[in-house]
Amino acid sequence: MNDSNLIRDIERYLEGDMNMQEKAAFEKLCQSDPVVNEQLKAHQHITAQLESYGRRLALQEKMDQIHASLDMDMLRNAATPAPARVISFRRRLLTNVAAAACIALVTSLTTIALIQKANRQKTTAQYEDVRRVLNNIQRSQNALINDINNKKRVPANPGTYGGTGFAITDNGYVVTNYHVVAGADSIYIQNTKGEAYKATSVFEDISSDLAILKITDSTFRSQPIPYSVKFQKALRGEKVFTLGYPRDEIVYGEGYISAQTGFNGDSAAYQVSIPVNPGNSGAPLMDAKGDIVGIVTGKQTTADGIAFAVKSAQLKRLLEEMPKEKMGKWNHKNRLENLTRVEQIKKLEDFVYMVKVYN
Amino acid sequence: MKHNLNIERDRELLLGLTRNDDKALSTIYVENFPAVLRMVLQHKGSEDDAKDLFQEAMIVLYEKAQTSEFDLYSKLKTYLYAICRHLWLKKLQSGSWQLSLPDELEEVLPADNHMEDHDKKDEQFRIMEQSMGSMGEPCKTILEDYYIRKLSMADIAEKFGYTNAENAKNQKYKCLMRLKKLFFDKYKL
Repeated sequence: MNDSNLIRDIERYLEGDMNMQEKAAFEKLCQSDPVVNEQLKAHQHITAQLESYGRRLALQEKMDQIHASLDMDMLRNAATPAPARVISFRRRLLTNVAAAACIALVTSLTTIALIQKANRQKTTAQYEDVRRVLNNIQRSQNALINDINNKKRVPANPGTYGGTGFAITDNGYVVTNYHVVAGADSIYIQNTKGEAYKATSVFEDISSDLAILKITDSTFRSQPIPYSVKFQKALRGEKVFTLGYPRDEIVYGEGYISAQTGFNGDSAAYQVSIPVNPGNSGAPLMDAKGDIVGIVTGKQTTADGIAFAVKSAQLKRLLEEMPKEKMGKWNHKNRLENLTRVEQIKKLEDFVYMVKVYN
Repeated sequence: MKHNLNIERDRELLLGLTRNDDKALSTIYVENFPAVLRMVLQHKGSEDDAKDLFQEAMIVLYEKAQTSEFDLYSKLKTYLYAICRHLWLKKLQSGSWQLSLPDELEEVLPADNHMEDHDKKDEQFRIMEQSMGSMGEPCKTILEDYYIRKLSMADIAEKFGYTNAENAKNQKYKCLMRLKKLFFDKYKL
């Protein structure tokens, strides 16, 4: 059977032109001869392809006709304004987003800065120096009377700030807080009798907040100091007392050592439970025997009854750095040990001074 | 309810398309082409790009509509639009249109499985187009007349001046054999 006859048979078979006998014979041939079967499949495929090819061409033609009949000008006009709008909208959006981002950035940076500042302020706000801001009204009667009696010069102006100091040597050296005398133009020392003497700061240590003053007035006469500085650590719970000038009169206060560290874990200071007020800065902190164990410096504002005192070891370090020959002896014999508290105070108060600062 | 009504109308149109109803074809074309044109123009394509794209999508729809399993679940507009986006994405990727890829087209397209079928059919169409193009006359017209226009062999014999239908048939067989050879050289079943 040649190709032409085969194709004829295939077509006749597919188009249903064969009678029953021919059809059966052809189907049998297809089954037995894979070449014929393949030819049949190929024929079916190609005619189907031709048909779909034709349909598609016809569709394409029809669509081209429809397309040609479209009013392209109108469609173009309807479609083109859109892209312009889209672009401008995007640009506007970009500007807005950029502006919003800038605002967000500035806001967050400001917030961070404010929070940090607030945190710093919070910490410092908790600690308060207990130096006193003086004014005219606070002048005491006592001081005036003493002034008249002794004809000693008391400056008419009571000073800008006030603190407390105490004698450390027999020849006019006085210990107080650095923050009391910081930035001072002139410093005056006033005793319980109201006698005032000019003094100068001879040594200052910011880190321990201590200052050593020297009374420069030639009229100053001192007595032997009845207490010594105790350099050993005071223990928790040890009873302590202080004498200071929160007002123009000397005030006694009593308490105990609460902790071995000061504000924010400062190991150079004690935490002391003792009533302190502005003006107590630089006041001596004494143990039951009357020896100096620390110097009152400040208190915590956020809690009651929490005061801080620099340890006497810091004072020792300071004193050792001073030239000895000028300063004289500062480790005296304690002569207060066996006295009652009232007697101790009576002896002590002559050596505790009000420090007045003018600036 | 409006949505359902729209779907019914779309199904009606689709049925018309299957039956080669020119009116249905025209309606679908006129209603859906503007949206595609807008999309293409927005993404810096030309009007010819839009025409090619849309007509190819129509062919996909047409071929799909011929198969019995095809059912329209979305609106015709959505369907055509999705196919256009897919086709365009493919063209952009293949680099035949030197355009940057618009962001909103970079997504998984819904009509993906439809498109595989179409790619196969499209390949066969191209091969058939080539094969028929290289056939030469009178073979090309005889095959078109018989297999596409469904003219009878007698009419064809008369048109081409064959003495009888049998001669014309023999000629047709020869033509078909040549076409088969051309077609299956390039296309393997």
